[in-house]
Amino acid sequence: MKNVVEMNNLTKKFGDLVAVNNISISIGEGELFGLLGPNGSGKTTMIKMLTGQIKPTQGTVDVLGLDVLKNPVKVRELVGIIPEQESPPSFLTAEEYLEFVGKIRKIDNINEKSDQWFKMLDFEDQRKMLCRNLSRGTRQKLMVAQAFLHEPRLAFIDEPLINLDPIVQRTLKDFIQDYIKKGNTIFFCTHILEIAEDICTQIGIIDKGRLLHNGPIQELKDKSQNLEDFFIKLVKEEG
Amino acid sequence: MFMKILKTMIKEEWRIHANIFGNLMFAFFPLLIGIGTFVVALFMPYLETILTVKQMLLLAHYLFLLIGVGIGAFGLFAREFMNRRFGQASLIAYSSRTLPVSERTIFFNFIIKDVIYYLMLWIIPIILGFVLATPFISINTISAIFACGTLILSFLIGLSIVFFLSTIYAHSSKILAALLLLAAIGTLVAMRYYIINITMLLPSYSMFYQPSLRKIIISLSLILLPSAISLIFLKVDYPEKKKQYQNNLNPLTDKLKFSKYSYYVAKDFLDMSRSEGGVGKIIFSFLFPIVLTWIFLYIFFEKIPTINIIMIFAIFLGIVSSSIYNMLTEFETFNSYMFLPVSVSTVIRSKITSYMLINIISLIILIITAIGTNQLIYFIPALCSFVTISLYSLAMTIYFMGLHPTILLYNAKIFSQYMLSVAPILFIFTIISIINPFVLLASPILLLPAIFIIKNSYKKWDSWEPLSF
Repeated sequence: MKNVVEMNNLTKKFGDLVAVNNISISIGEGELFGLLGPNGSGKTTMIKMLTGQIKPTQGTVDVLGLDVLKNPVKVRELVGIIPEQESPPSFLTAEEYLEFVGKIRKIDNINEKSDQWFKMLDFEDQRKMLCRNLSRGTRQKLMVAQAFLHEPRLAFIDEPLINLDPIVQRTLKDFIQDYIKKGNTIFFCTHILEIAEDICTQIGIIDKGRLLHNGPIQELKDKSQNLEDFFIKLVKEEG
Repeated sequence: MFMKILKTMIKEEWRIHANIFGNLMFAFFPLLIGIGTFVVALFMPYLETILTVKQMLLLAHYLFLLIGVGIGAFGLFAREFMNRRFGQASLIAYSSRTLPVSERTIFFNFIIKDVIYYLMLWIIPIILGFVLATPFISINTISAIFACGTLILSFLIGLSIVFFLSTIYAHSSKILAALLLLAAIGTLVAMRYYIINITMLLPSYSMFYQPSLRKIIISLSLILLPSAISLIFLKVDYPEKKKQYQNNLNPLTDKLKFSKYSYYVAKDFLDMSRSEGGVGKIIFSFLFPIVLTWIFLYIFFEKIPTINIIMIFAIFLGIVSSSIYNMLTEFETFNSYMFLPVSVSTVIRSKITSYMLINIISLIILIITAIGTNQLIYFIPALCSFVTISLYSLAMTIYFMGLHPTILLYNAKIFSQYMLSVAPILFIFTIISIINPFVLLASPILLLPAIFIIKNSYKKWDSWEPLSF
């Protein structure tokens, strides 16, 4: 299995704060890698480094065979990203925003693809409303749609289920599982341990910037260990 | 309650800037303004060969009025004004949602906070710099201190008048248009028949020469009445939650196909037209000061044959037009693009394209004024000066401040670098325009370094980690 994400000794410092501390992880094609960690543990910083949004203080990152430090825009062209905070431009409508993203990503049949997402995430009636007037949940739906609009092979999704209602959460969960079955890869940051346990194939646990655990979820299941108990124990012990 | 909110807002504003470039660099800013004014004031005796002290004072009073005009459109921007400054992250600006405080109260605090900031950051340092220079330039210090008081009044009059006008605009653009038309006709007629004298029109200025209780009352009324009426009728724009909009991105993008950045530019135009104030933004932050300046220059310099009004106006237009770039960068931060395959330089390039297109308005204004004043002979050198100054100052803005001009300008180091790069050029252009305007036909040569600087800016900002506010 080919690795689509390779990070070695990845470190990020903000002044004296070490947000990510010397982490090395490889993620193979077709994996659903779940990065779990308490608030402020360094998950979002890691996604930002992996997608070239910020530069690591130390270490190397390759994504889809590209050196992220040298090709940040190219990497973002190939992957899909759901950011931690939903921030579509205020004065475009939802429909215009997806078109705008389509133009940036040079997607041909953008209207057709947008329609699919409006239907799938059930917000067709709000497509002509300005992004700033949308609820947080609807803005999150828009963020999900923009990340998968170009059907990327690899997606980095930071708390994608946040603010979504249970029905849409279920739809998205099903979509993610189908997406993986097609051979695509997902790097998934979340707090929701039940979902991570349910759908992830590999998990990493991070706290205070340090990687505490990295391995297949099956290992835990084989030991009949509950992810929540394992997570809490690990974070408390190591913390 | 009022004082508590005000104090917290002042602290918040301070921290926004101090967090980005440090307490010292922000605190240093007013000091720098004061030192700059002190140095410029030392050159006043040399300026007396061109202008008398009386004319300089008149100029200063109208300049302060213009500064007030430039920042007075609070009523128009209302909620957005707070939003773009503080962003959604401000708990104070948005406390009306969670605490028993009305949005009007919050906004009133915001206005007072902004007035205090502008006074502390710009007006008082300028005044102190001038007063401290008076012993060296044989100007009576007492008169200088008195002039400072009248200058502050000018600033506050400008601020309150535009606050008033922008509040009318927020309610009805038609009423405002009718009012402005009436005022323009009235002023023209009055001036034609010498009913009013421009030099005495501004009560704060006339008070300097003929102080009287009546003039103090008029000045204070001009500040307090429009502000009070504006606050009473302040329209805090609540977005229409359910309002549906036609898809205008595609048709606009098609019209702009000639540009590689057509969809970004289309987005900029939609941002401008759909955000609070809409076209009013351009009117109040750009057209209104320009028209006022033109009227002032026309009346003031008409009597000084050595000064070529159209040339001075072109230089002023060039520098003011660079503010369009600042406006274009205020609708969003780069955070909206960070997760897309877009570099900072691409966004800057698209803003430059939008800037050029909007600047066609400035070009039209220049053509109209050249024709209207029968100064077509100077049109080409004026055009060269306008284009060069506009692009040169834009290049410097982009190089030093990237996509955050309105925030980074208050970094003392960046501000001094910017001023040192732009002010000497403005000074040289002004002097040449007085000596021989046709020499400025060669000014476009300055476009070469401007283009070089812009290209270097792309590299600089692409390698920077985006700022988060």
